[in-house]
Amino acid sequence: MSTSEALAKMADHSQVEIPQDARDKARELKWDEGLIELALSKGHTLQEVWQALRGNVNGETAKQFLAGGSMVRPDFWWMKVPTEWGIKARPADKEMGLTIGDLNIGTYGDIPDVWNNRSEIARGSYPNPINEDMGYTIFEKAVIWADCVVPLYEIAIRDRWISSTDLRWASLEVLPDDIEKAVCQLMTEQSDRAYYEGALLSGWLPEISYGYHEVKFFLSTVIYDVARHCEAFRKRALSNGGGLGLQAPTDFSRAAQEARSFPELAAILFVQDSMLLTLFKNGDSIAQNQLERDMYALVARDRQRLMDYHIERMKHFLFKMPDRREEQNLYLAKAEGRMVKDWADPVVSEPLAILLGGGRDKIEAGQAKLAELRKQQVQQYVDDLESATFFRKGLNGRFQDMLKS
Amino acid sequence: MAANPITESGLDLSWLNLYDDAASATPGKKGLTLKEINQGRYGDAARGAGDMTYRMRGALARPGAQRFGPTYMSKSDVWSENCVMLYEEATQRQWSSARDIPWDTLEVLPDEVERAMCQLCTMLTEVEFIAGDVPGQWMPFVSAQDFEAGLFLMSQIMDEARHTDVFRKRALYNGGGLLAQGAGLGLRTLLEARDFTEMSVLMHVQAEGFVQSMFRMGELIGQTDADKRIFRMSAQDESRHLAFGVMHLKYVLDTEPERREELHHYLDKAEGDAAGGGSGDVTFPPVFESLAILLGGGVDKFDEGVQKFLLLRKRQINEYVHRLEVAGLGDRRQRLGPLFAQFVDPV
Repeated sequence: MSTSEALAKMADHSQVEIPQDARDKARELKWDEGLIELALSKGHTLQEVWQALRGNVNGETAKQFLAGGSMVRPDFWWMKVPTEWGIKARPADKEMGLTIGDLNIGTYGDIPDVWNNRSEIARGSYPNPINEDMGYTIFEKAVIWADCVVPLYEIAIRDRWISSTDLRWASLEVLPDDIEKAVCQLMTEQSDRAYYEGALLSGWLPEISYGYHEVKFFLSTVIYDVARHCEAFRKRALSNGGGLGLQAPTDFSRAAQEARSFPELAAILFVQDSMLLTLFKNGDSIAQNQLERDMYALVARDRQRLMDYHIERMKHFLFKMPDRREEQNLYLAKAEGRMVKDWADPVVSEPLAILLGGGRDKIEAGQAKLAELRKQQVQQYVDDLESATFFRKGLNGRFQDMLKS
Repeated sequence: MAANPITESGLDLSWLNLYDDAASATPGKKGLTLKEINQGRYGDAARGAGDMTYRMRGALARPGAQRFGPTYMSKSDVWSENCVMLYEEATQRQWSSARDIPWDTLEVLPDEVERAMCQLCTMLTEVEFIAGDVPGQWMPFVSAQDFEAGLFLMSQIMDEARHTDVFRKRALYNGGGLLAQGAGLGLRTLLEARDFTEMSVLMHVQAEGFVQSMFRMGELIGQTDADKRIFRMSAQDESRHLAFGVMHLKYVLDTEPERREELHHYLDKAEGDAAGGGSGDVTFPPVFESLAILLGGGVDKFDEGVQKFLLLRKRQINEYVHRLEVAGLGDRRQRLGPLFAQFVDPV
């Protein structure tokens, strides 16, 4: 009887099904036919066999061990990989605690201009020689990076708020019907826009490689922020005798949806995110009560972080890729045109005019204030672009009219 | 009506007359949560057909609204009955890896134990990284008709960012560093899913379930109070993700029982992939060995650690089977892949 026949005979007693993966691996490591069954018959678990196979224990060693030889000990090769060792990150600011910025020391702080690894490898760990391509498409620091994401991530976590308990819902008082309807229509639009922006940005996360994990972390806070804005606005619409009105216009959002690259997406969102930040910074002028003032202030604080990112990212991008400067005009023009179209919709402008004026009967005064607000929004947008070292050529004609008004 | 021709006064104002039913949700014990506003025509029970426009549930459809590309049209494709509660819980239980972990209590550990912890953290930071990308990949397909599911996924993205950062922080705080990248951790299977439910059962139920079972053994794995706290805090988040997945699976099985065999098929594949795709495969030698060192308490107690590792696997698999039973997939017990079946307790 050959060895393999003997081993197979012993294995007859085993009731354990052996995965094909294990058989294939055993064959690759030159385990004798039936050696797995022998191990099982000697009381070893399938898991132990699997660990031996995954640990690349060859057939000869396995056979010796099962014949009563010495225990196969792992060599713990992973303890000796040549990564930087001895790192002691410490908080630079005790108030903020141990931040991700504190980790960017030694080689762990090297954020390369181009990230070459297509896997999910953590920056600074020791790479496998062969990896599957995980499908990332963004490998250039220039298109995605802004230094501010590092502190802003931790600030976003520190400044988180909870719509259900941080806003004093019980304080809401009945408003005149036209004003309540105006609040609710604004909330409907903004809830739509917030949800959409969260879904949109979420979809871009899997495109960003691990070399720039700080950007992914920061965008995760943005996604979580807009989720909160979406539900806070919805709660406001449904808590004071109103309801949801007409969905938001789709022209601007479709422009964002149509973006084919991250720089295009960021340029398009720059337009809306700047305009919305100015709107919410003016929250006191549209708020009808303290709850709304608080809500708009919190939303503005969140959105300021996003705008800081937009400005710094664009500035960095234009510095690193000056040949792409003119191209940005194309995306901004498209976004501005769509924004103008959304703003021209009476379902967008009239609720704001009623809120700014203080009622339907004062809507003319409200329209004048809205014109002022629009002027401020456009001016701030132009200023934000300039902060990003971008001097807009061919600003949308309607925007120019607003600035001149 | 919206976007109608402007009236003689230059105003439209038709949007003031779109509805008459007043909604007046009042705060409950936990404030004004999504549960309180999940009422009447705004509630999930009144969900209308999706229209691929990101129109929030209950908002009135705009004539001329453009589509944004395919989103799921059926509630069962993404819904989980607990997503309303889980989202609010997520907002209440956010934590900060910077300030809620007592970093300064970490003590110097024997070199091989520190290396084992750093290797485990290297693997976990990879796992959590993908766990943020995966819900991100699916968010654009979640209709705003089921926005609570979307909000929950957005909270999960935040959670996973924090997990990715906390394990990186742990690796770089205590005199160590990152070590070997995982190989064949099965994470790509999560990105390869072509259906939300396929993704959810693989990521939320199986992968995060395994991770959750491991984190709940954090008292044994963690060598210091700070380490134990990291595992506890992370486990708290993972519980929500897992609960979403279990209840989503239950919802699908309850409402679309014809998908049962299809769902088994995904699990057949995943369980056939060695130790279970996407779990941050703990059988990958550096992970297995580092876990055995940590569970045993040192290289010299490696064999003891291996025995505890086998207990961990047993716990992972039995809890996995139990969760599937809760979801209505109890017959999975009879179909488990061999590397899973070896650990299942008899009924």
